[in-house]
Amino acid sequence: MAVATTPRGYIERPRPSGLADVIEVILDKGLVIDAFVRVSLIGIEILTIDARIVIASVDTYLRFAEAVNRLDIVQDTDSQGLPELMESITEGGAKSKVKGLAEGAKEAVTGDDDDDDDKSQSRSRSRSSSRSRSRSGSSKSS
Amino acid sequence: MTQPAGKVYVYGVIGASGKTAPQVEGIQAAPVRLVGPAELGALVSDLGTDALSAPKAVRAHWRVLEEASQDATVVPARFGMVMESDDAVVTGLLEAHHETLSALLHDLADKVQLTVKGTYDEELMLREIVQSTPAVAELNERLRTVSVEAAYYDRIRLGELVAAEVDHRRVADTVAAIARLEPLAEAVREQEVREPSAAYDLAFLVRRETIDDFSKGVRELDREVGDRIELSYVGPSPAYSFAEASLDEGSPAWA
Repeated sequence: MAVATTPRGYIERPRPSGLADVIEVILDKGLVIDAFVRVSLIGIEILTIDARIVIASVDTYLRFAEAVNRLDIVQDTDSQGLPELMESITEGGAKSKVKGLAEGAKEAVTGDDDDDDDKSQSRSRSRSSSRSRSRSGSSKSS
Repeated sequence: MTQPAGKVYVYGVIGASGKTAPQVEGIQAAPVRLVGPAELGALVSDLGTDALSAPKAVRAHWRVLEEASQDATVVPARFGMVMESDDAVVTGLLEAHHETLSALLHDLADKVQLTVKGTYDEELMLREIVQSTPAVAELNERLRTVSVEAAYYDRIRLGELVAAEVDHRRVADTVAAIARLEPLAEAVREQEVREPSAAYDLAFLVRRETIDDFSKGVRELDREVGDRIELSYVGPSPAYSFAEASLDEGSPAWA
């Protein structure tokens, strides 16, 4: 099956887009009429704001620092592979390594009930469902 | 045409001559309709008064545009365009902006959007940065002997140094990707990346008949970036990123 993670070095043709691939451009690009009547129904405003959240710099810095530090740990101890190590670190409540808040908003939208499309999304959805849930809870309180 | 009492949701504009609305469910499962004079048409559906589920609405918006673009050139509207009535769509959108919309349709005719995103292999990149940047390596070494709390600002400093290195790579890699692919496309838009490990997010406007050539270029790029960057190559999609136009609503005769 041709998905995002094709074996290295061979991309034959574009893969059909799932919603997850284009959610940002749907919210960000395209025709706009000034002063159009906004959809004011609950949900949409929040959604478009969430999708625009850019990761705070300090947050990014700390995560990079953590990730760089972790490199050395892995080199020193062969007993634990990187995946397991990251698992235990993220389970400890620290933010996972690269996913940002925008990703959370994206998951909130694309990880919805029906599954009539984007197959490529199912993989990451199952992996991250618990994480995005806890994040959406905490992002409201901050 | 009978005038629905509620508001209408606008998905996009198409060259309407000889076209019909795509057979696809819109928001709130309402049928999609084609509104407007012969030359230009807007794809719309009626909005009920029920509460709207945002995820479902976004999904419907996307589905309608994907479907419509199968056999017509579409100028996609940004998600969330709602107007008072069919009349408002005709006068406030199609007639008031006839020239702009016609020009956009002309520019986008027989072209599709192909999107190329690059994501760094983070571990590989960070190792490379530690090895090639003495300042990073030193600070990283030093921080390992200090407690996390005590070294808070040093940790930020370390992250800052790393982020700067990532930015350098991002700029260089973006330039290289554009240089490789732009000659094969009609236009390119560099889109903002949001994830720390993202290298680039590039939208290309490509003629339908040259998609294969463009794909070859992407394969070459893929070979060039090797394991450093994982490419995601997606499309064809409606030309979302090339339909950027802000329109005044014109005289609000309908208001």
